[in-house]
Amino acid sequence: MPVWQILFFVAAMAFLVVMSFWSVKSFRLTPDFTFANWIKMYGAGYFQDTYLRTVLYASLAAAVSSAIAFPCAFGLAFRVSPNVRRLIVFMLMTPYFTSYLVRSYSWKIVLTENGVLNTLFGWIGLGPFDMTSNLFATMVGYLTLILPIVILLQYFSLVNVDRNLIEAAHNLRCGRLRTVFVIIVPAAKIGIILAATFAFILSFGDFVSPSFLGGSKPPTLSILMVDSVKSGSQWPRAAVVALTMVFTLLVVAFAALTLAYGSGKRGR
Amino acid sequence: MGEPLLILDGVSKLYGDVPAVRGIDLRIDAGEFVAIMGPSGCGKTTTLRMLAGLETPSDGEIRLRGRRMNEVKPWDRDTPMVWQSLALFPFMSVLKNVEFGLKMRGLGAAERERRAMGWLERLHIAAYRDRQVSQLSGGERQRVALARALVTEPEILLLDEPMSALDAHLVVHMQSELKQLQEQLGITFCYVTHNQSEAFAMADRVVIMSQGRVQQIGSPREVYRTPATRFVAEFVGANNILPGRVRALSDGLVEVETAFGCLRAKAPADDTPEVGRDVSLVVSADRVVLGREAAAEGNSLPGTLIGEEFVGAVVTLYLDIGRETELRVQTQQHNLDDLDLARGTRLVASWRPEHSVILPEG
Amino acid sequence: MILDRTITLALRFYVALVLLLVFAPILTSFVYSFDANRYAAIPWGGFSTKWYAAAFADPDVAKGFRNTVIVALSSSTIATVIGFATAYTDYRYRFFGKNLYLALALLPPTIPVIILGLAMLVFLAQVGLSGELYTVVFCHVVYCIPFAMALIRLRLSQMDPDLEAAAWNLGAGQWRTLREVILPFTFPAILSALFLTMAVSFDEYAIAWFVSGFNETLPVRILVLLQREVSPKVNAIGSIVFMISMTLVMLAQIALMVRKPRRQAG
Repeated sequence: MPVWQILFFVAAMAFLVVMSFWSVKSFRLTPDFTFANWIKMYGAGYFQDTYLRTVLYASLAAAVSSAIAFPCAFGLAFRVSPNVRRLIVFMLMTPYFTSYLVRSYSWKIVLTENGVLNTLFGWIGLGPFDMTSNLFATMVGYLTLILPIVILLQYFSLVNVDRNLIEAAHNLRCGRLRTVFVIIVPAAKIGIILAATFAFILSFGDFVSPSFLGGSKPPTLSILMVDSVKSGSQWPRAAVVALTMVFTLLVVAFAALTLAYGSGKRGR
Repeated sequence: MGEPLLILDGVSKLYGDVPAVRGIDLRIDAGEFVAIMGPSGCGKTTTLRMLAGLETPSDGEIRLRGRRMNEVKPWDRDTPMVWQSLALFPFMSVLKNVEFGLKMRGLGAAERERRAMGWLERLHIAAYRDRQVSQLSGGERQRVALARALVTEPEILLLDEPMSALDAHLVVHMQSELKQLQEQLGITFCYVTHNQSEAFAMADRVVIMSQGRVQQIGSPREVYRTPATRFVAEFVGANNILPGRVRALSDGLVEVETAFGCLRAKAPADDTPEVGRDVSLVVSADRVVLGREAAAEGNSLPGTLIGEEFVGAVVTLYLDIGRETELRVQTQQHNLDDLDLARGTRLVASWRPEHSVILPEG
Repeated sequence: MILDRTITLALRFYVALVLLLVFAPILTSFVYSFDANRYAAIPWGGFSTKWYAAAFADPDVAKGFRNTVIVALSSSTIATVIGFATAYTDYRYRFFGKNLYLALALLPPTIPVIILGLAMLVFLAQVGLSGELYTVVFCHVVYCIPFAMALIRLRLSQMDPDLEAAAWNLGAGQWRTLREVILPFTFPAILSALFLTMAVSFDEYAIAWFVSGFNETLPVRILVLLQREVSPKVNAIGSIVFMISMTLVMLAQIALMVRKPRRQAG
């Protein structure tokens, strides 16, 4: 195992770092040690904008998916019989492993100008709405990718909340809604934070939704990176983008873990 | 009798720097039922695991029939074990479980089944041969585990708290059956437990361990009546331990000056303590007799009744004998009928000097 | 408690709604794959299997499908074998640098696939391994190992820790124990890992897109089609892909469930 992972994973990632210092001379990749790629990319306004935009998009996706998922995970954990619960968990696990590509394509059929949703809106006298090639479409795509897993992660932490805790709260005259926010959310904090982190990581690196549903304009980092490789053969610059993304994700993941576990320990 | 079946010679086991077993000497004869007993963490299970080869001694030597066993791998030994968790293979039927040891020894299918069925019948579980382990009750699983271990007809069987998963009402029944089985087979049983009633009910000899050391080895009766150390006195039975100092020696008795007056006890057979030494006097709760007045001879202590506990026909009474010390007294319910007891009743506890022993520690 | 009932019903309705949202694209794709119209709309243009016929007739799709099957079968097999070895090593031994070892095993899926794809492309191009079908296999194995490892490790952690020692105690050597006890015990998880990694590899588009060169796999083919045109052919191919990967994921889950009731009875 270590041999395999070192050969094809660690070496590849390490080489990406090396590559970011290489230069491209007359369309040929040349070993070099230059900061030119880094300076060029970080100095470019469009890169800075794209970086910020991608962070915002991913944060938005994390927030929206968490908000949509919570009532669902909550209902699943507390208001559904165990058998149905098992079935739904089973069902939610499936999409994570089944063609995200085609699923986001399907949304295009639904959302497009003469598509299914606009036809439905037309029947009740609304629209047509422009629902593709914009932020809305991108978000729908992100949700396709992350919603099931966010629900599942939230659900697993909610299900493990000690029921006695909730009964104790009711017993102490804490109302239903208040119990949710005062008792259940803090008790399930780790899972909720992890779910949002996962949502962020997956949306941050996603290429499909912003390009096919969002229409690539304005681009995200992933689109920038893919374009550098596929059309410009600017591998070193793509490496700079990729490394920036990896670094950002590491910082986010670390911050989230600290938030989830670190303060949790102090609280106890 | 010649060489014992199994010898442990100064066996120690360290985990890193932490000693689990510290220099154990033990001889076990063929056909003996030995119980190794002690609180959790005393090293009893580690000792058993060393006998099975699952741990390698850090020091000392283990010899089985004169052969050094320290480096012998677990699968090259014939020391089957009955596990606390039973460790039955969940994906095999009862029969396959029992056949496992024979299969590993390369026996043919027909012979394996014949022998395994023999044991299933002997342990009254032949009807379950094709069941999955999870479909059996606790008692039935116990029998499967026993059959699986015995099927290779070993000279010695290791048992690691095998009854801890059983319901209380099954334990007593299983004990007598296990003891009978051991006597019929003539196999050496080495039985680890933290439960003294289990050990005392079955074992020919008990080994009492604490903090990696052997505290005492002897028959259940010996250990119960003459504890060798303070630890044993506290761990076994219901003993009263009174600190004091040796004042005089006479007629095989030791006179001990305690805070409650002068008490006499039987002198230890091997090592008579010198005058002036700090010792403890131990008397078992069931040796103490209660009365309104002091007995003519022997030890007696006045006290006030402060509590009683009934467990079936046996009563345990607690007597305040001053200096924040309680004396425990165990007796049959009917012995108290004449006494008209109530909390606060003044009573005298007495016992014969030869019923109490001296421990060398203060 | 009427209020309580209302809350329960509302939450259940919401759960159903979200499930519908999650499965809407799958259903849509399936429904419109049989639509005779070129552009998906309401009303439906009538039942037709012509898009399936078109998909099957496309030589690129056929080639992609063949490639995908080859890649999925080989990478899931290799990943499961390595995943088992990794999980067992983790279960059995304590050693220096174990955390690093585990990080190495589990990290890849946390890195965005396109970055993995890029890293593997630049590296493999440099050592002259890129663009072949086996390149895709190598890379998919990296990505699949963690899934296999996690499933098998989970199963091992459910095993009575005495079970292995019990087998030794009854005379089974280490290899024999592996064969007679560990493998049968972990078998459901191994099977599950095989199906799951197959599904993961079968669906993976980004890494394959970067490293496959001219040996396109089916998801890469779909990606290319998506970039080029809106064709209901994609619905047809997508529905087939769904069916296959859904079946694989379900098989993976069923494999794990088979033995559970028996265990829980105890």
